[in-house]
Amino acid sequence: MKTHPRIPLRAVVSCLGVALASTAAATPFADSATGVGTVLGNTMSASTTKARPQDPAWEKAKHTPTGQMYQLPFAMPKAEDIKKLASGWEYSGQVEVGFVGGDVDERNAQFRMYQDPDNGAYVNNFSLQMKKPAGGYFVELTGGGAGQHDQYYGLQFGRYNDWKVKLYFSETPHVFTDRYRTLWSGLGTGTLTLLPGLTPGGTASTAVDNASVASVIANTPLTTLSLVRKRSGVRLDADLSKTWKGYVSYALEKRQGARPFGAVWGNNPGNTPMEVAEPVDYSTHDVLAGVSHVSGQNAFNFRVSASIFQNHISTLTFEEPYRIANVAGVTTVPAAGAFTQGRMDLAPSNQAYNARAEYTRAMPDFYRSYLTAVVSFGRWRQDDSLIPYTSIPGIALANVTLLPGGGWDTTGSLSRQTTGASVDTRLLDLTYSINPSSDLNLKAKARYYETDNNTDPFLAVNPNAVYTDADATTAGNQTRGLTYEGLTGVWGRLLNDGSGQSVLLGANANPAGNVAIRSSPFGNKQFKFGPSADYRLNKISTANLSIDREINARENRERDRTWEDRAKLGYVNRGLKNSSLRVSYEYGQRRGSDYNSTYYDENFSSALFPIPTAAGTNVTSWAVRGNNGMRAIDLADRDQHVVNVRLDTMLRTNLDAGLSLQGREAEYPNTTYGLTGHSQRSANIDLNYQPSPKQTIYAFYSYQLGRLRQHSISSQGGAAVTIGAVTPLGTITPANAIEIGQAPGGPIFPLLNAWTVRSTDRNHLAGFGLKQELGKGAILNVDYSYSIGRTRIGYTYNVGGAINAANAVFAGDRMPDLATDVGFLDASLSIPLTPRISARLFYRYQKESIRDWHYRNLAATPIVPGANAAALPNVLMLDAGPDDYRVNWYGVTVQLKL
Amino acid sequence: MKFSSRFPILQVGVIAGVAYASAVVYVVAANSPKAAPAPVDHGGATYVGEAVCIACHATQNNQFMHTAHANAFRLNPKNEAQKVSCESCHGPGSNHLKDPISPSNRGSLVGFTKEWGTPIEKQNAMCLTCHQGEQRMFWPGSAHATQNLACSDCHNPMAKLSETGLLKKATINETCYTCHQQQRAEFAKRSHMPLPEGKMSCVDCHNPHGSTTKPALKADSVNELCYNCHTEKRGPFLWEHAPVRENCLTCHNAHGSNHDKLLTVARPFSCQQCHGNPGHQTTFFNAGQSVGGGAGVNSRVLGRSCQTCHSQVHGSNHPAGARFQR
Repeated sequence: MKTHPRIPLRAVVSCLGVALASTAAATPFADSATGVGTVLGNTMSASTTKARPQDPAWEKAKHTPTGQMYQLPFAMPKAEDIKKLASGWEYSGQVEVGFVGGDVDERNAQFRMYQDPDNGAYVNNFSLQMKKPAGGYFVELTGGGAGQHDQYYGLQFGRYNDWKVKLYFSETPHVFTDRYRTLWSGLGTGTLTLLPGLTPGGTASTAVDNASVASVIANTPLTTLSLVRKRSGVRLDADLSKTWKGYVSYALEKRQGARPFGAVWGNNPGNTPMEVAEPVDYSTHDVLAGVSHVSGQNAFNFRVSASIFQNHISTLTFEEPYRIANVAGVTTVPAAGAFTQGRMDLAPSNQAYNARAEYTRAMPDFYRSYLTAVVSFGRWRQDDSLIPYTSIPGIALANVTLLPGGGWDTTGSLSRQTTGASVDTRLLDLTYSINPSSDLNLKAKARYYETDNNTDPFLAVNPNAVYTDADATTAGNQTRGLTYEGLTGVWGRLLNDGSGQSVLLGANANPAGNVAIRSSPFGNKQFKFGPSADYRLNKISTANLSIDREINARENRERDRTWEDRAKLGYVNRGLKNSSLRVSYEYGQRRGSDYNSTYYDENFSSALFPIPTAAGTNVTSWAVRGNNGMRAIDLADRDQHVVNVRLDTMLRTNLDAGLSLQGREAEYPNTTYGLTGHSQRSANIDLNYQPSPKQTIYAFYSYQLGRLRQHSISSQGGAAVTIGAVTPLGTITPANAIEIGQAPGGPIFPLLNAWTVRSTDRNHLAGFGLKQELGKGAILNVDYSYSIGRTRIGYTYNVGGAINAANAVFAGDRMPDLATDVGFLDASLSIPLTPRISARLFYRYQKESIRDWHYRNLAATPIVPGANAAALPNVLMLDAGPDDYRVNWYGVTVQLKL
Repeated sequence: MKFSSRFPILQVGVIAGVAYASAVVYVVAANSPKAAPAPVDHGGATYVGEAVCIACHATQNNQFMHTAHANAFRLNPKNEAQKVSCESCHGPGSNHLKDPISPSNRGSLVGFTKEWGTPIEKQNAMCLTCHQGEQRMFWPGSAHATQNLACSDCHNPMAKLSETGLLKKATINETCYTCHQQQRAEFAKRSHMPLPEGKMSCVDCHNPHGSTTKPALKADSVNELCYNCHTEKRGPFLWEHAPVRENCLTCHNAHGSNHDKLLTVARPFSCQQCHGNPGHQTTFFNAGQSVGGGAGVNSRVLGRSCQTCHSQVHGSNHPAGARFQR
């Protein structure tokens, strides 16, 4: 959705540009070490740059040391052609304005994802460069896309080699969908109110509600969900002395709009999930300051940063168009239709701080060795006020008495009032390098990085509620509630603004469903160390070897520690007559400590109760957290091979080729279920041909093949874990119930239910381009690329296991292919009309076709029906998903040079 | 922290480490320190001044005069080396003048092209005369340095080939793509970062001059990098999702993907790589469950799949958000 009107800047900037009205140039904003927002440009920038005339005097193509051809430089004004003012300032500049037409008003989300062209007048770009040789002062201004949501502006001024100030503003659109069927007004705000015709909490008749929802969808136009990222900033860089430099910057980024979101509500595990729209109204303030010092053999950097994120909409409340019945144990006022809305807690405001020092000491007298040390400390913190479990007033639970102030819709029901979360980050990185001989370099590296999560676990308990009876399953007096980790009360959380099944209800309570009652703060300590060697084999080639070990010690994970050993061998030969060759191979092996599949049991309500021992008791809730043959992908043992080959060759002095091959193969040898293997291979070739200074031709092709394999066992149809039951893995006892319950082949996970998925990504990207000077300064530039992406997801299963025979007929052996084709053609013809004025005609063709089974038929069927017209629907899929587009657009612009 | 393992590669690593330490000890103990490396040998050449250079290289000067280098050297030089302008990078030119066109005399100047043939070390040393430290602190030992890349493999310091940064190509991204073709292909996929649209560059995330991380990230970790733009994902949250806290790349391909949201694999299979709990997490999802597929439609196959209900998958701050549904 477009939440903000366009800034009417076109006319203003057009006037400014004309007033300022050579060469397109831009300000160097890039800093490869700090900050983001390194470029100012938009979808037209590359095209505009390629249309620039080349230096006619620069006739011979040269090559980089690797052997890649330099392109010919831009035509630049000669010294005698540069305009001068009486004040001593020199200046040059240009403005390019015109009209854009064709299909460019297309609203398709795929087309407009990160670009925002429209029909009509268009300020493509403008630039101004001013320089005062006396004193070395300069001013540079650049901009483009004025008035559009991908506009950008930059201003830089200062003194060469001394100080400079940079200011910039850039917008980036992000369009998520243009096919959203809203049921609400208030998109982009924190309150979604049902459109007329729909009843919050539904009516007494689900059939009526279904008809009402269908009617609203049918009569409401499609809506675009999008946001715009607006980033502005200022930075000062200055030489403080001959050896010290400093900088300070401030950036403000605003994001506003809405994006697709999901909401489930109603009874556990939730009825009729539906796609709502998440409002986005963010501000981020980034402050960065630092100094650097270079003197003799010492180099030192120090910087501090702060990032303050503010979400101006902290919650999203959405009205629900259907009626749900109270679940067992829950009473509400009114008795029916009380659940009229749901509430999400949106991303909390947070802050991040960091201080970092880097130091290098060169010791040229001691075998040209050097030491580099980095220390970095940071903190992420977040302390938002928490909201109550539910926004629905008057909820009462069977066997539970609320104490004063303990209502579930009040913060009195919470175990604490604010998040109180923080994570400290620490980095220590050391490198020592030494050259024992002129041909050998040795390095030793050690790196320690830690995210230390200081957040106390959150306990999902209402401390201001008590059970009305003793809990028969727990010894002792529990009339005041159940006690866990020092807190006493009624445990569980009112999930989905209506569910009662996520709260332990007192009498004879058992952890049915195994309710989460405690959060896990996650942290990680990473230690990586190892030596490397780089040996010069001869004048033209080197070989390098590195070995390292990376140890990860994790907080609150199934595996305390993993370690990965890697060895990498590389070879570089850049002295081949016309070629450079680079080859490397890396082998990595990750292993770890024992994998504890039951690690999170203490976070669930089963921890409140001892496992029952009586024969015939169903203990599934105590026994089963998951398949114990499954391994989380970031913790699993892994063997990995990585190969990289790159050849750059000058086939002729005016023709070079680049060939690269990559291969990555990973196997997870001790994973029976979960991700068991993946691979990525690619082959790429580039050709660059410059037959004359007036003609440049290039072509490229890339092929990628990615494969992935995973396994699981469906629990559908599995039996309960019952004390005394005889299973293929033995007779279940209280002592072995957990092990048998979680085991593949046990009652929950019968091996017949096993299934396997293989996903294969295939991608082709081909492109070519031409730049041709046609005479009299006219330049034709053409760029074309075509991308094909296909993903085939195949699977295997046992009929009668994971699915029955009837459904197997429809399941077949694979999903429909995910398919995306993207075509792009950009052609422009620049024609000089006078020495100061030139015209440019451009034509652009963009197309995309996309097939995604996630959205198959959803355009026609947003309401996925339930069992019948009187039943709650299965789901409301309000986003119809991506769609094809084909856009022809063109433009006529005039470039005025100062 | 225990570092022991049963794997032979560690033994190899330990041996290599010991060997390395031994080598260091040996050279320290057995050898007296060497003298500092001699200044770059220019063969006794002397500076001739840029006017002499321009007399023959007017074409080059017409480009050079528009560069940051020229403006710094000519308008506000900081030292004697910068004042000599052309020769501050190419070295003193008197020997070059003796026989300027003979290939055998190319050693008399530092050149920055393959044709000229100056050794990479010598080229880079010349650049680092001024450009050491700061954002190039980690250049030694970086991936690009290990590949024996020259500064001029990415930069052309004396001509305007790019809008910014004195690059060899018109943009940062095009410069990187000349070697990183695989990433170019990834940015052409269905979901991608907005590089093709000109709103981001590779240097937003990577420092090509090296960093403390293997992929030359501009932050201490992947997540710290991603949080630069995705600040709302930073948290920390009341209820956290373990792989999300540790590494965004567990689920996402940073450059591009055939799947929505830069995911490594289509949902729901993405989630099922780790989630094998009883119930719908282990359900075998299949083609029959999409609309029109012919069997029972499953909401977990449609649209945003698992995230239709578990929409707060990056973390929830709702007290009832344990399942990331609020």
